[in-house]
Amino acid sequence: MKLANNSVLILLPVFNESKVIFSVIRSIQKEGWKKILVVDDGSTDNTYDKVKKTGAIILRHIINRGKGAAVKTGLEAAKKMGSEIVVTLDSDGQHNPKDIKKMVKQIKKGSDVVLGIRDFRKRNIPRYKVFVNYLGNILTWMFYGLWVSDSQSGFRVYNKKALSLIQTNNDRYEFETEIVREIVRNNLKWTEKTIDVRYSDYDQNKINKQSFVSAIKTIIKLALFG
Amino acid sequence: MNITPLSLLLLFFSLYSIGERLIRFIHKEQGQSTFKMMATIFIWGGISYVAFFKLGSEDNLNTYIFIGFIIVFFILFRLLSILEKNERLLTEIIRKEALKDLK
Repeated sequence: MKLANNSVLILLPVFNESKVIFSVIRSIQKEGWKKILVVDDGSTDNTYDKVKKTGAIILRHIINRGKGAAVKTGLEAAKKMGSEIVVTLDSDGQHNPKDIKKMVKQIKKGSDVVLGIRDFRKRNIPRYKVFVNYLGNILTWMFYGLWVSDSQSGFRVYNKKALSLIQTNNDRYEFETEIVREIVRNNLKWTEKTIDVRYSDYDQNKINKQSFVSAIKTIIKLALFG
Repeated sequence: MNITPLSLLLLFFSLYSIGERLIRFIHKEQGQSTFKMMATIFIWGGISYVAFFKLGSEDNLNTYIFIGFIIVFFILFRLLSILEKNERLLTEIIRKEALKDLK
Protein backbone atom coordinates (compact mmCIF):
# COMPACT_ATOMS: atom_id res chain seq x y z
CA MET A 1 0.00 0.00 0.00
CA LYS A 2 1.29 3.44 -0.88
CA LEU A 3 2.02 5.40 2.27
CA ALA A 4 1.78 9.01 1.17
CA ASN A 5 -1.86 8.93 0.21
CA ASN A 6 -4.94 10.92 1.07
CA SER A 7 -6.00 8.60 3.87
CA VAL A 8 -3.19 9.95 6.07
CA LEU A 9 -3.80 13.33 7.66
CA ILE A 10 -0.95 15.27 9.23
CA LEU A 11 -2.24 17.36 12.12
CA LEU A 12 -0.35 20.36 13.46
CA PRO A 13 -1.64 22.32 16.47
CA VAL A 14 -0.07 25.76 16.30
CA PHE A 15 0.18 28.85 18.49
CA ASN A 16 2.30 31.86 17.57
CA GLU A 17 4.77 30.01 15.36
CA SER A 18 4.94 32.48 12.48
CA LYS A 19 8.75 32.30 12.39
CA VAL A 20 8.89 28.60 11.60
CA ILE A 21 5.47 27.30 10.55
CA PHE A 22 5.98 27.89 6.82
CA SER A 23 9.21 25.88 6.70
CA VAL A 24 7.76 23.16 8.96
CA ILE A 25 4.81 22.62 6.59
CA ARG A 26 7.03 22.76 3.52
CA SER A 27 9.35 20.11 5.00
CA ILE A 28 6.36 17.81 5.57
CA GLN A 29 5.10 18.39 2.04
CA LYS A 30 8.57 17.60 0.67
CA GLU A 31 8.29 14.15 2.22
CA GLY A 32 5.19 13.54 0.12
CA TRP A 33 2.48 14.18 2.69
CA LYS A 34 -0.05 16.43 1.03
CA LYS A 35 -3.02 16.32 3.37
CA ILE A 36 -2.06 18.66 6.19
CA LEU A 37 -4.45 20.13 8.72
CA VAL A 38 -3.32 23.03 10.91
CA VAL A 39 -5.32 24.12 13.94
CA ASP A 40 -4.39 27.69 14.80
CA ASP A 41 -5.02 27.98 18.53
CA GLY A 42 -5.73 31.71 18.68
CA SER A 43 -2.36 32.96 17.45
CA THR A 44 -1.81 36.68 17.82
CA ASP A 45 0.97 36.90 15.21
CA ASN A 46 0.60 36.19 11.47
CA THR A 47 0.78 32.40 11.78
CA TYR A 48 -2.63 32.09 10.09
CA ASP A 49 -1.50 33.97 6.96
CA LYS A 50 1.74 31.98 6.77
CA VAL A 51 -0.20 28.70 6.87
CA LYS A 52 -2.63 29.91 4.18
CA LYS A 53 0.30 30.38 1.79
CA THR A 54 1.27 26.71 2.06
CA GLY A 55 -2.06 25.35 0.83
CA ALA A 56 -2.65 23.39 4.03
CA ILE A 57 -6.15 23.20 5.50
CA ILE A 58 -6.47 25.57 8.45
CA LEU A 59 -8.99 25.81 11.28
CA ARG A 60 -8.90 28.60 13.79
CA HIS A 61 -9.72 28.90 17.48
CA ILE A 62 -10.79 32.49 18.09
CA ILE A 63 -8.93 32.51 21.43
CA ASN A 64 -6.12 30.36 22.79
CA ARG A 65 -7.37 27.20 24.48
CA GLY A 66 -4.22 25.12 24.73
CA LYS A 67 -2.45 22.39 22.80
CA GLY A 68 -4.79 19.62 23.94
CA ALA A 69 -7.84 21.58 22.79
CA ALA A 70 -6.25 22.27 19.41
CA VAL A 71 -5.34 18.61 18.88
CA LYS A 72 -8.85 17.54 19.84
CA THR A 73 -10.33 20.00 17.33
CA GLY A 74 -8.00 18.49 14.73
CA LEU A 75 -9.04 14.94 15.61
CA GLU A 76 -12.73 15.90 15.38
CA ALA A 77 -12.05 17.44 11.97
CA ALA A 78 -10.20 14.29 10.89
CA LYS A 79 -13.26 12.21 11.75
CA LYS A 80 -15.45 14.51 9.68
CA MET A 81 -13.01 14.27 6.79
CA GLY A 82 -13.04 10.47 6.96
CA SER A 83 -9.30 10.16 7.55
CA GLU A 84 -8.01 6.62 8.07
CA ILE A 85 -4.79 7.62 9.84
CA VAL A 86 -3.89 10.80 11.71
CA VAL A 87 -0.35 11.87 12.56
CA THR A 88 0.11 14.60 15.18
CA LEU A 89 3.34 16.61 15.17
CA ASP A 90 4.58 19.64 17.09
CA SER A 91 4.60 22.75 14.94
CA ASP A 92 7.90 24.22 16.12
CA GLY A 93 9.97 21.98 13.88
CA GLN A 94 11.39 19.76 16.63
CA HIS A 95 10.03 16.62 14.96
CA ASN A 96 11.55 15.21 11.80
CA PRO A 97 8.97 14.60 9.02
CA LYS A 98 11.17 11.75 7.76
CA ASP A 99 9.97 9.75 10.78
CA ILE A 100 6.30 9.89 9.72
CA LYS A 101 6.71 7.02 7.28
CA LYS A 102 8.01 4.53 9.85
CA MET A 103 5.34 5.60 12.37
CA VAL A 104 2.54 5.08 9.84
CA LYS A 105 4.01 1.67 8.96
CA GLN A 106 3.36 0.56 12.55
CA ILE A 107 -0.34 1.37 12.11
CA LYS A 108 -0.41 -0.68 8.94
CA LYS A 109 1.15 -3.55 10.92
CA GLY A 110 -1.88 -3.54 13.24
CA SER A 111 -1.34 -0.96 15.97
CA ASP A 112 -4.16 1.40 16.87
CA VAL A 113 -1.88 4.04 18.36
CA VAL A 114 1.84 4.66 17.82
CA LEU A 115 3.69 6.80 20.35
CA GLY A 116 6.83 8.55 19.19
CA ILE A 117 9.55 8.33 21.82
CA ARG A 118 12.58 10.55 22.12
CA ASP A 119 15.96 8.94 22.65
CA PHE A 120 16.85 10.55 25.98
CA ARG A 121 20.43 9.26 25.87
CA LYS A 122 21.14 11.81 23.17
CA ARG A 123 22.96 14.90 24.37
CA ASN A 124 20.89 17.38 22.32
CA ILE A 125 17.89 16.92 24.61
CA PRO A 126 17.94 19.41 27.53
CA ARG A 127 18.39 17.64 30.88
CA TYR A 128 15.35 19.31 32.45
CA LYS A 129 13.18 17.81 29.69
CA VAL A 130 14.55 14.36 30.51
CA PHE A 131 13.68 14.90 34.19
CA VAL A 132 10.18 16.30 33.51
CA ASN A 133 9.45 13.46 31.12
CA TYR A 134 10.59 10.81 33.59
CA LEU A 135 8.40 12.39 36.26
CA GLY A 136 5.52 12.40 33.77
CA ASN A 137 6.10 8.72 32.98
CA ILE A 138 5.99 7.77 36.66
CA LEU A 139 2.79 9.75 37.28
CA THR A 140 1.18 8.38 34.13
CA TRP A 141 1.93 4.88 35.41
CA MET A 142 0.54 5.81 38.85
CA PHE A 143 -2.64 7.28 37.39
CA TYR A 144 -3.37 4.73 34.67
CA GLY A 145 -1.16 1.71 35.30
CA LEU A 146 0.61 1.81 31.93
CA TRP A 147 4.32 2.44 31.56
CA VAL A 148 5.25 4.40 28.45
CA SER A 149 8.74 5.60 27.60
CA ASP A 150 7.72 9.13 26.60
CA SER A 151 4.40 10.22 28.06
CA GLN A 152 4.81 13.82 26.88
CA SER A 153 5.71 13.32 23.23
CA GLY A 154 3.50 15.16 20.74
CA PHE A 155 4.47 12.91 17.82
CA ARG A 156 1.76 10.25 17.69
CA VAL A 157 -0.24 8.31 15.13
CA TYR A 158 -3.84 7.09 15.42
CA ASN A 159 -5.91 4.80 13.24
CA LYS A 160 -9.65 5.15 12.59
CA LYS A 161 -10.59 2.85 15.47
CA ALA A 162 -8.54 4.89 17.94
CA LEU A 163 -10.02 8.11 16.56
CA SER A 164 -13.55 6.89 17.16
CA LEU A 165 -12.85 5.63 20.70
CA ILE A 166 -10.55 8.23 22.22
CA GLN A 167 -12.35 10.86 24.32
CA THR A 168 -10.35 13.59 26.00
CA ASN A 169 -11.35 16.55 28.16
CA ASN A 170 -8.21 18.42 29.04
CA ASP A 171 -7.19 21.44 27.03
CA ARG A 172 -3.53 21.84 27.79
CA TYR A 173 -0.52 19.56 28.13
CA GLU A 174 -2.54 17.06 30.23
CA PHE A 175 -3.86 15.90 26.88
CA GLU A 176 -0.74 13.83 26.16
CA THR A 177 -1.23 11.87 29.39
CA GLU A 178 -4.97 11.52 28.74
CA ILE A 179 -4.21 9.67 25.53
CA VAL A 180 -2.41 7.03 27.59
CA ARG A 181 -5.50 6.75 29.80
CA GLU A 182 -7.66 6.26 26.72
CA ILE A 183 -5.35 3.54 25.41
CA VAL A 184 -5.88 1.67 28.68
CA ARG A 185 -9.62 2.41 28.94
CA ASN A 186 -10.35 1.27 25.39
CA ASN A 187 -7.81 -1.57 25.38
CA LEU A 188 -6.17 -0.21 22.23
CA LYS A 189 -3.18 -1.88 20.62
CA TRP A 190 -0.23 0.47 20.98
CA THR A 191 3.41 0.54 20.17
CA GLU A 192 6.37 2.89 20.55
CA LYS A 193 8.82 4.03 17.91
CA THR A 194 11.99 6.03 18.46
CA ILE A 195 11.90 9.43 16.80
CA ASP A 196 14.45 12.08 16.04
CA VAL A 197 14.12 15.43 17.82
CA ARG A 198 15.87 18.68 17.01
CA TYR A 199 15.94 21.28 19.76
CA SER A 200 16.93 24.69 18.45
CA ASP A 201 17.54 28.03 20.19
CA TYR A 202 14.15 29.09 18.85
CA ASP A 203 12.43 26.18 20.55
CA GLN A 204 14.25 26.68 23.85
CA ASN A 205 13.46 30.38 24.02
CA LYS A 206 9.74 30.11 23.31
CA ILE A 207 7.41 31.68 25.88
CA ASN A 208 4.71 29.05 25.47
CA LYS A 209 6.92 25.98 25.84
CA GLN A 210 6.14 23.27 28.39
CA SER A 211 7.90 24.16 31.63
CA PHE A 212 8.41 22.53 35.01
CA VAL A 213 5.65 24.75 36.46
CA SER A 214 3.22 23.70 33.74
CA ALA A 215 4.13 20.07 34.50
CA ILE A 216 3.15 20.57 38.15
CA LYS A 217 -0.14 22.19 37.08
CA THR A 218 -0.74 19.22 34.79
CA ILE A 219 -0.28 16.79 37.69
CA ILE A 220 -2.70 18.70 39.94
CA LYS A 221 -5.36 18.95 37.24
CA LEU A 222 -5.12 15.28 36.39
CA ALA A 223 -5.32 14.33 40.06
CA LEU A 224 -8.37 16.52 40.72
CA PHE A 225 -10.36 16.37 37.51
CA GLY A 226 -8.99 13.48 35.46
CA MET B 1 -13.30 6.45 70.39
CA ASN B 2 -15.95 9.17 70.57
CA ILE B 3 -19.32 8.41 69.06
CA THR B 4 -21.14 11.71 68.67
CA PRO B 5 -23.78 12.98 66.21
CA LEU B 6 -20.98 14.89 64.43
CA SER B 7 -18.71 11.86 64.05
CA LEU B 8 -21.62 9.75 62.77
CA LEU B 9 -22.54 12.47 60.27
CA LEU B 10 -18.95 12.65 59.01
CA LEU B 11 -18.82 8.86 58.78
CA PHE B 12 -21.99 8.92 56.67
CA PHE B 13 -20.51 11.54 54.33
CA SER B 14 -17.23 9.61 54.13
CA LEU B 15 -18.89 6.33 53.25
CA TYR B 16 -21.10 8.07 50.68
CA SER B 17 -18.12 9.77 49.01
CA ILE B 18 -15.94 6.65 48.99
CA GLY B 19 -18.85 4.51 47.76
CA GLU B 20 -19.71 6.91 44.96
CA ARG B 21 -16.09 7.06 43.80
CA LEU B 22 -15.79 3.26 44.02
CA ILE B 23 -18.84 2.71 41.80
CA ARG B 24 -17.50 5.17 39.21
CA PHE B 25 -14.08 3.49 39.38
CA ILE B 26 -15.52 -0.02 38.95
CA HIS B 27 -17.59 1.14 35.96
CA LYS B 28 -14.36 2.58 34.45
CA GLU B 29 -16.02 5.95 33.96
CA GLN B 30 -14.02 8.59 32.16
CA GLY B 31 -11.64 10.48 34.43
CA GLN B 32 -11.45 7.77 37.08
CA SER B 33 -8.09 6.38 38.11
CA THR B 34 -6.49 4.25 40.80
CA PHE B 35 -4.75 7.35 42.11
CA LYS B 36 -8.07 9.21 42.52
CA MET B 37 -9.63 6.19 44.20
CA MET B 38 -6.74 5.96 46.66
CA ALA B 39 -6.80 9.74 47.28
CA THR B 40 -10.54 9.63 48.05
CA ILE B 41 -10.10 6.77 50.52
CA PHE B 42 -7.14 8.55 52.12
CA ILE B 43 -8.91 11.91 52.53
CA TRP B 44 -12.30 10.62 53.68
CA GLY B 45 -10.77 7.86 55.77
CA GLY B 46 -8.61 10.49 57.46
CA ILE B 47 -11.63 12.69 58.16
CA SER B 48 -13.52 9.76 59.72
CA TYR B 49 -10.49 8.78 61.79
CA VAL B 50 -10.09 12.30 63.17
CA ALA B 51 -13.84 12.53 63.85
CA PHE B 52 -13.89 9.30 65.85
CA PHE B 53 -10.51 9.20 67.55
CA LYS B 54 -9.11 12.72 67.79
CA LEU B 55 -12.04 15.03 68.44
CA GLY B 56 -13.43 15.36 71.96
CA SER B 57 -17.06 14.63 72.68
CA GLU B 58 -17.56 18.06 74.22
CA ASP B 59 -17.69 21.32 72.27
CA ASN B 60 -14.14 22.57 71.93
CA LEU B 61 -12.11 24.77 69.62
CA ASN B 62 -10.52 21.83 67.79
CA THR B 63 -13.93 20.57 66.69
CA TYR B 64 -14.88 23.94 65.23
CA ILE B 65 -11.52 24.29 63.46
CA PHE B 66 -11.89 20.80 62.04
CA ILE B 67 -15.42 21.45 60.75
CA GLY B 68 -14.28 24.79 59.33
CA PHE B 69 -11.41 23.08 57.53
CA ILE B 70 -13.75 20.55 55.93
CA ILE B 71 -16.20 23.26 54.82
CA VAL B 72 -13.40 25.35 53.25
CA PHE B 73 -12.02 22.23 51.53
CA PHE B 74 -15.46 21.47 50.09
CA ILE B 75 -16.11 25.02 48.87
CA LEU B 76 -12.67 25.25 47.26
CA PHE B 77 -13.04 21.93 45.48
CA ARG B 78 -16.55 22.85 44.31
CA LEU B 79 -15.37 26.20 42.95
CA LEU B 80 -12.46 24.58 41.13
CA SER B 81 -14.84 22.01 39.64
CA ILE B 82 -17.21 24.71 38.40
CA LEU B 83 -14.31 26.69 36.95
CA GLU B 84 -12.97 23.60 35.18
CA LYS B 85 -16.43 22.76 33.80
CA ASN B 86 -16.83 26.29 32.44
CA GLU B 87 -13.38 26.15 30.83
CA ARG B 88 -14.35 22.95 29.06
CA LEU B 89 -17.66 24.40 27.88
CA LEU B 90 -15.87 27.45 26.51
CA THR B 91 -13.47 25.21 24.60
CA GLU B 92 -16.42 23.24 23.16
CA ILE B 93 -18.04 26.44 21.87
CA ILE B 94 -14.76 27.58 20.30
CA ARG B 95 -14.25 24.13 18.76
CA LYS B 96 -17.72 24.18 17.19
CA GLU B 97 -16.98 27.59 15.71
CA ALA B 98 -13.65 26.38 14.33
CA LEU B 99 -15.18 23.26 12.77
CA LYS B 100 -17.74 25.38 10.92
CA ASP B 101 -14.88 26.40 8.61
CA LEU B 102 -14.43 22.79 7.52
CA LYS B 103 -15.97 22.30 4.10
